[in-house]
Order: sequence, then structure tokens, then C-alpha cells
Amino acid sequence: MGLDDVLPGRLSAWISAAEPDWDAVFGEQLPRVYNFFRYRFGETADIEDLTGRTFEKAWHARSRYRRDLAGFSTWLLSIARNVAADHHRRSRPHVPIEHAAVMAAGPTPEDQALRRSDGKHLAVLLARLPDRDRELIALKFGAGMNNRAIAKVTGLSESNVGTILHRAVHALRAQW
Amino acid sequence: MDDVLLRGLWQDPSPEFAARLRASLRRREIAAPERRRWPLAKLAVSAAVAAGVAGVFYVPAVRASAQSFLALFRVVHFVGVPVDSRRMDTLKQLDLPRLVGEHVQIVQDAGPPAPMVSLDQAATAAGFTLQVPAWLPKGARIVEMAVAGEHVVRVTADATRLQQVMDALGIRDLRVPDGLDGQAVTIHVPPVAMVRYEHGSRHTRLFQARSPEVAVPDGVDLAALGEIGLRIFGLSREDARTFSRVIDWQTTLLVPLPPTARSFKEVDIAGSRGIAIQAQPPNASLTNIVLWSRGGRVFALMSVQGMSDVVQMANSVQ
Repeated sequence: MGLDDVLPGRLSAWISAAEPDWDAVFGEQLPRVYNFFRYRFGETADIEDLTGRTFEKAWHARSRYRRDLAGFSTWLLSIARNVAADHHRRSRPHVPIEHAAVMAAGPTPEDQALRRSDGKHLAVLLARLPDRDRELIALKFGAGMNNRAIAKVTGLSESNVGTILHRAVHALRAQW
Repeated sequence: MDDVLLRGLWQDPSPEFAARLRASLRRREIAAPERRRWPLAKLAVSAAVAAGVAGVFYVPAVRASAQSFLALFRVVHFVGVPVDSRRMDTLKQLDLPRLVGEHVQIVQDAGPPAPMVSLDQAATAAGFTLQVPAWLPKGARIVEMAVAGEHVVRVTADATRLQQVMDALGIRDLRVPDGLDGQAVTIHVPPVAMVRYEHGSRHTRLFQARSPEVAVPDGVDLAALGEIGLRIFGLSREDARTFSRVIDWQTTLLVPLPPTARSFKEVDIAGSRGIAIQAQPPNASLTNIVLWSRGGRVFALMSVQGMSDVVQMANSVQ
């Protein structure tokens, strides 16, 4: 049933149906999406490819964007999350169990060398975070979202987002 | 380690990548113009809302014949009604889609609009000769034409639901009119034609259709329902009372003005009274919208052009 056409909850839909200014949207959102993926995957993924796929999906689905339900960046980052999940599923490395201990251990000599660059050092530390923590860090510091927006995108409660981020940042600080 | 360090990975995408991606998206736009539902149908449907009934109807068991309707609404005038963001939020929290969802019957679904290759073809599909602006901004050209089919929705009043909505909104001084429960209303939106113009990177859309009609059963107190509708929108008790008594509910379409509407004014379009709205939705360009009705037809012009240009275009539609 085409409820979109008859629901009072969408009283303003017709006026909001004005086309987004895609040039403006592109300029504003591209760095956020791009950096979401940088924080999410670091150098282990083709960040430009993931960013491009996100925008192409958004462009393809733009008629389904419901302005009254979510802010544009929230909607776009939801798509980016799906792209990230797809990528993660396809590229998840199968690490032999004997390597797990190495991965969980302290800084390797390579890590020490990378430490010369804070950015690279951060990337190394991010890679050690659990997936969920890293995703929230990526949304917070890569996409520049606040905790409320992150809660909307992830379905977690705002307080839960705050707690996880606090713990993750604490863990990063401890290893810095 | 502070937040500055946490932002240490952040970097701008390369200009070459940005340009490449932008070009790729533009190619997609040219190759596949989007087919999506149009706002004019929603505009027409808000007539039912104006009567204060859209949220409170359910599917009728028996299809009533058009002859049984005595009060027939047709759009002649437009009136803007501001709806503040707090009321918008409240209406969303009420989860009206869930309340109404089971109570609406789409008798005929327009479906997505069908692309047209010429104004003549569009006229044949729409069932009327399209009127177009004689004046266009420099360089403007038609880049898309489409027609959406007829759309018919039937809703049947549920007085209990309406009372629940009113209670939830704290409207305690009004009562649902007697005899409303079980009454069916049919909203009929004739085919809608759209012509899209491109001028540089800007777009203007002209929508036109024969006037939508809302057939209301005899005996329904439109003014009383209108007053309830206005209160649901958030108008004060006094304003809603005054307004509901002076308005001609059979010819006036209330246009809800959400918080994204920055300005609103009445305009004269070739001798007809219309309204001009300037809206700034998030992440969208400032959009100017002009609505007017003439000769039994409703027009909507939406553009990111300046308002004076949009009004000039509207004035030249013939």
C-alpha cells in the first residue's frame, strides 16, 4: 500500500521533496564517507573504491531517502556501513591460530617504526580494536558524527555508544 | 593521547578522486533519469488532512458510489499553515503511519511516472494539453517529461482513533463531530504531468494536473473537522476557531508549511491567487515553490532559481 502518499506523518513530504543539491551534498559528505572508511579499514582496503561504491548506491537509491526519517548524512553513513560490512565479509582474513597471539601482543618492531607517524601509529592501534569499537571510532572521528547520530545509524542506545567509545579511546590511550 | 591525535588519520580525498567520482555520478544521472513519485499527489492528499480526517480513516467494506457524495472538494485556493518543529516531532512520535496504515485503501495506484518523449505524448497520457512557460531563464531546455497515472485513495473515519490523536495532542476542548464514524471519503488525484527544465546545473520542475477532488459524504461538518485539523497542525485554539469559520473548506487546500519553509507569501499568477514558498531542506539548495490554480487545473513550479524568476515563469505558463 502506498502509504507514503497518504500519511499525515509526511505532511511536509511534498515540500521536502525538493531535490537535494547533489553538488553541495557531494562536497560536504565526500570527506566524511572517505574518512569513515580510512578509520574503519586503514591501508588494508581500497578506500576510494569503497567511497565510490557508497555514493553510487546512494545515488541509485536517492528516491528512497526519506528526509523526515533521517538526516542525509545519517542515511548516507548507513549505506557506508553496509558497504563496509560487505567488504569486511569478503575480505576477512583467516588468521592461523598460532598468529593470534602475535597479533594480540604488544608493539612489534614494525609498529615501533610506524610510530614515527602518529597517523600510522593510530592506524596500527585501530586495527587491534574489536570490530564494533573500531566502527564507532570511525563514525566518530572519521565521519565526524556525534553520539546521537551514531546511535541512530547503529541502532545502539546513545549511552551505550558513549560507553563503548569511552572504553575504546581509553584502550587506544593505554597503548599509545 | 587527545582528540587531536585521534583525528590524526583524517585526510581530504584527493581532488582527482573527487572529480572522477562526481563525473561518474553525473553520467549516471544523464543515462538513467530517476522515476519516483511526485510531490503533487502528496499535496493533493493533504486536502484530506486539511479536513482533519486523514489520520482517522479505515478501509470501508463496501465501495460507495460517487453519486452518494454531495460535498465535493476541488482546489481553487491555497492557504499555508505553519507547522512548528515541536508539533512535527509530536506527530511523528504518535506513529501515525501505524495508526492509519490499516485504514487506508489505495483504490487505484498511480505507480511511478512514465517517461514521455514529447509534449504531445505527455498530453495524450495525461488527458489534457500541457501548458508550459513562454518565458524561461536563459539557456533553459526541457530535459525530461513524464506522466503519472490516476491515483485514488479511500479512507473511512474512525472517530475513536481521531479522539485518541486529539487526546494525545492535548486537544480537549473539541469533540469529534457526531455521525463521522464509518463515513468514507474518496480522494481522487487525476493524472499528473511533469516537465523538467535544466539550465546549467539547475533544475526546474513544472507539475500540472486537473484539480484533485475529495468526495465527502453528505452531512460531514467540514468546518468542524477543519478546526480539528488546524489544531492537529498546532494552531492555537483561537486561530483555529476563527480560521475554520472563514475558510471555504470546499475550495481551499491547506498547505502545511514545515520548519524547512523559510518564507511564505501570497502571489498573483496571471490573475489567479497563488502562494510562493521558500524552503531550505537540510542538505538541499534553497528551493522556491509556487502553487496556483487556474481553469480547473493545479500547477506547481519548483526551482532553485530565484523567486522572481520562478514567479515570472509561472506567470508565463499558457
